[in-house]
Amino acid sequence: MSYLSLVWVELKKTRHSKIFLILLIPVIMMWVPSIINADMNFDLRGIPITPEKNFFIQGFMGMVWFMIPASLVICTVLLNQTERSNKGILKMLSLPINTAKLCLAKFTVLLVLTAAQMIMSIVAYYVCAALVTHTQNYFFILEPLYVCKNVCSIYASAIPMAAVYWMISILIQSPIFSVGIGLASIVPSVLMINTKIWFAYPMSYPFYLLMVAYGRAAEGVYETQIVWLPWLPVAIGITILALAVSCIRYGASERR
Amino acid sequence: MSLVIESKKLKRTGYLAAFLAGGFLAAAFPVVYMMVKADEVTMLSGNPIDILMSANWQIMAMLNILVSICGACMMYYAEYADNGIQKMSVLPIRQGNMFLGKFTIAALVLSAMVVIETAVLVGCGEYWFSNYRFDLAEVLKIAGFQIFVTLPTVMLMLVIASACRNMWVSLGIGVILVFTLSILPQDNAVLSLFPFASPYQMLPAAIESGRTVLFLVVCGIETALFGVAEVIYLKVQRCFE
Repeated sequence: MSYLSLVWVELKKTRHSKIFLILLIPVIMMWVPSIINADMNFDLRGIPITPEKNFFIQGFMGMVWFMIPASLVICTVLLNQTERSNKGILKMLSLPINTAKLCLAKFTVLLVLTAAQMIMSIVAYYVCAALVTHTQNYFFILEPLYVCKNVCSIYASAIPMAAVYWMISILIQSPIFSVGIGLASIVPSVLMINTKIWFAYPMSYPFYLLMVAYGRAAEGVYETQIVWLPWLPVAIGITILALAVSCIRYGASERR
Repeated sequence: MSLVIESKKLKRTGYLAAFLAGGFLAAAFPVVYMMVKADEVTMLSGNPIDILMSANWQIMAMLNILVSICGACMMYYAEYADNGIQKMSVLPIRQGNMFLGKFTIAALVLSAMVVIETAVLVGCGEYWFSNYRFDLAEVLKIAGFQIFVTLPTVMLMLVIASACRNMWVSLGIGVILVFTLSILPQDNAVLSLFPFASPYQMLPAAIESGRTVLFLVVCGIETALFGVAEVIYLKVQRCFE
């Protein structure tokens, strides 16, 4: 079976899971306070930022800090549990398919689901920005290049985190621990981002990039340049290591 | 009776261990905070426990909520995984009692978690603040209040978990609720009474604004209301199965 058709099969399995609804609701919810308090964007409290950029960054803040990691955890639960209920995973593992390939196909689905959420968040942003432009009589819509560039970089920086969550969900069979570790690891990322070793903590990458975008939009709030070294090698290393471990250990408890 | 059965079901799921680990992780935050910022913080005037709580309770409460969500999902995951809940429903046991047993266990482990956290807060006060005087009644009041305002969240999460067959749906709903209520303005008096928002309230701040009784009454009513809603839901669900 080719890799692409495996991914397609895995995507089909998520069809009746209501996962898109679960991914869509937070994307809409994150703009509700921004729409209600749209006039707050003009009250900048001395921070040199334009209202439209303030609207964009404040809206994405909660998303990047909490909802992207949480969605990833939910999706790993989905990918692992859909096949547990009727021992579907045993049937999959008995097929003449390389388990590493199967594992990577499932990870690809995880990335596809996250990408879908990112696209939904861009669409939601434009709808809300248009709405606020209408109510506040101020042009809140940013150019698509800026929005897409930021969202794409946030998405790319979420990949190491996705790999780590995927590894945790494979290594730890008991869902309470794999989910618990996943959710608990979100909480300290706000603190980690202010330490010197933030690059060793994949859960803080998307938040870091948004903070850099904030720093670029408003002088003096945060750094304006991304510190690529040693971040990039560490991030790539973490991703490869996590994926390698998950490919080796995938289905290990079922094959016993 | 149902309490014993329910706790037996959870024996090998790591339920208690997860809550204890969550409690210790949450308790680590004030310790780390004091290790980093001891010099600045000890200069502040005021009750040490109040200072420590206002600096750390947001994060600790969030961890409490997240672990409670995981716990609720786990409880019903164990039931739904191999259709255990169908077998339970043919036994001469009231489903409502089963739910109450689950809620009691969830409330007890939450209490254990909050007690660990308050104990560590007191320990930080003793260790770093020279002006701290240990007062058992005050500490118990704080722990009791923090447990009580978290109960509606625990109850509502169990109701959600019992209604959803798939774990990711109940987990998703729980996480979305945490997210939604954390991005809404925190200082709004009405919003802070909602489940998933009330655990962030602290006793010192509540006393200051004179809302202690309001919080206790509203959270009590909410908890009872969700419990009644679950019993009605179970009755209705039985008619349609």
